[in-house]
Amino acid sequence: MYRYLIILLLMSGEASAHSFVPTYPELKPSYVEGILYTTMSLFNARKDVEYYEFGVFNAEWEKVPFSMQNKIMRFKHLEKKKIDIYIREKDKQEVVYICSKSKLIITGASKTSVSSRVCSKVK
Amino acid sequence: MKKLFILLSTLGLAASINAEEMEVVGNVASKCVVIPDTAGIYGNPTADVLSTDPSDGGVDPIVRFDVIQASMYKAKISYPIEFSESPTLNDIVNWTGSVGTSQVSDTSMSGYDAAKIEFDNVTEFNLTVAGSTWFKTESQADYGYGKAFPGGVYRAVVSAECIAI
Repeated sequence: MYRYLIILLLMSGEASAHSFVPTYPELKPSYVEGILYTTMSLFNARKDVEYYEFGVFNAEWEKVPFSMQNKIMRFKHLEKKKIDIYIREKDKQEVVYICSKSKLIITGASKTSVSSRVCSKVK
Repeated sequence: MKKLFILLSTLGLAASINAEEMEVVGNVASKCVVIPDTAGIYGNPTADVLSTDPSDGGVDPIVRFDVIQASMYKAKISYPIEFSESPTLNDIVNWTGSVGTSQVSDTSMSGYDAAKIEFDNVTEFNLTVAGSTWFKTESQADYGYGKAFPGGVYRAVVSAECIAI
């Protein structure tokens, strides 16, 4: 069963996919006192998307302050990047979800586009 | 005797070489992949209606969710309730829609539709089975009270979210 799933997931990399891992990231102490961080990885296989926006939320889906290199980042087609997300230690109990969301460029004929968002849950 | 000793020693050496083992390590981590499968297109069956229904000349957008481990994610799909691009509209647009499974990789996913949770324009599915699920989103926009949509390009966005639980 897992063999087929892994093949399917590998094949999905060839399609138009958006993945964001790990599912359950852990916050670790950073080199700055009072600041925690976690490393996430985003893979962009969507040809129609070049930019992704990142966000950190509490259990009620309210925004939690965080820092990273750029909150909107460019990913070329089939590009995979590791991203460090920094959160204040005092906000640790608040943080529940870390999300990445595709940013769509409006062009073309009368059709519907799909905005994808993948959210991980902090342990 | 000497030959036999050499032969046995060689076999012993060979046996010790064969005893070398190599370890292959793998890790199957949970993961959710969102894949827009089919782009939706609005049909215009009457002047005041835009619809993705194939019977209205439209195409329903389809999104595939792949999960490698069961019960770790939920899918949250929203049909549009506004245009992301349209000509200037000076009357109300009434939106209706629905989300359901269109194809599954495992027969045990057949219960997803019965167990789905709907609120406003959002539908949630707990992805309780590992594998791929294709979700179809139907949407319809009715303009004013029988008013004709002005000519131009109309676009709307379906939101597909995969949230760890």
